[in-house]
Amino acid sequence: MSVRLLALIPVTVAISLALSAAVDAVALPLFLDTTGTILATALAGPVVGIAVGVLTSAVNTLRNPTFWPFVVVQIIVALYAGFATRAGLFRSLKTAVPTGLGLGVIASLTSTPISYFVFGCTTTGGIALTTALGRALGLPPLGACFFGSFVSDFGDKAVTFALVAAVLHALPRRTAARFPLALRAMGAT
Amino acid sequence: MSALHPFSLLAIAAALPAFAWILPAPGGGLATATLALVLALVPDVRAGARVVRVAVLTAAPFWLFLLLLHDLPTTVAMGLRITTMVASFAWLVAALPPDRLVEAMVARGWSLTLAYLFAATLSAVPVLKARARRIVEAQRCRGLSPRGSVANRLRALRALALPLVLSALHEVDERALALETRGMGSGVHRTPLAAPPDRPLERAARWALLLLCLAAVIWRLA
Repeated sequence: MSVRLLALIPVTVAISLALSAAVDAVALPLFLDTTGTILATALAGPVVGIAVGVLTSAVNTLRNPTFWPFVVVQIIVALYAGFATRAGLFRSLKTAVPTGLGLGVIASLTSTPISYFVFGCTTTGGIALTTALGRALGLPPLGACFFGSFVSDFGDKAVTFALVAAVLHALPRRTAARFPLALRAMGAT
Repeated sequence: MSALHPFSLLAIAAALPAFAWILPAPGGGLATATLALVLALVPDVRAGARVVRVAVLTAAPFWLFLLLLHDLPTTVAMGLRITTMVASFAWLVAALPPDRLVEAMVARGWSLTLAYLFAATLSAVPVLKARARRIVEAQRCRGLSPRGSVANRLRALRALALPLVLSALHEVDERALALETRGMGSGVHRTPLAAPPDRPLERAARWALLLLCLAAVIWRLA
């Protein structure tokens, strides 16, 4: 791995964790905790994205250990973002947002078994409450857990993909060209 | 406790939650949760009380939501497991400074790259969080309103997030240059300045913990 890509990893992990300040300011029910993973993948490929995802989970775990089992979700996100990068799906919001919605479904499917079997669907207050709503609507326990994860992940991943697309297009062309996959992710090559 | 080798601290923090999940509930979870909380109080009770408070405050919402979603036996079983996990990691964070872990990793022959990634991330996070707060304040001074409709909030989010992400990406070149001037790309093995001692007894205890975990799994499956 080149020194530039090595330097990119801690920066993108810190981006994932620092964005919570922006989310708090606008008071939206978003996490944006996979922004760094998706951005690193779009710039440098899924191997760097997986490294960012694992490191993000590790650092989050120091703050709250319940994050660690969800490291699998970060890896899936990096692999999916790798596919989106190769296909140039960050070329506009019209392609990025639906791709993010697709990731929302996949991320919910991946996180539901972890959330259900390890934490009994209580990973965050929002997920617990939407799971309770699902139970009240008559869904079985696992279905209600998926409902809770889906509600929180669906919009979050669409916004994250849109944000990464906006970042890529805002980067000066010369800066973007220094990363191996940035131009391809934008559909420019 | 903090005199133990970092790998020993990691092994204990990983073994306790593993036992909490492997051993039958609620007795297994109760024993591991108690052990994790007691560990935090050794040797300094006052500092340990802070760790216990962090662990209890982190675990409390899980108990509340478990009660909301499950019956009492399930709540107790899962709650004790989650409490063990939270308490053992809270104890680990308090007992193990990251730079000591990095020294131990380098001494053991782990790649310097891995040690750099861990240390650089831990130092970059507070810097970017402080910058994010400054950007939020600056944009508010310029009249950005982060309230109103969802579309309005999303536009505000873009105005807050883009400067943060772009400024962070522009730092990558500077960091890469700094790493190159320090010979990061050379692949030469580094010698740690103060490698933590790893006593044979501790190494044996770590292996014993691993074997105990495996034995417990086999016992539960049998």
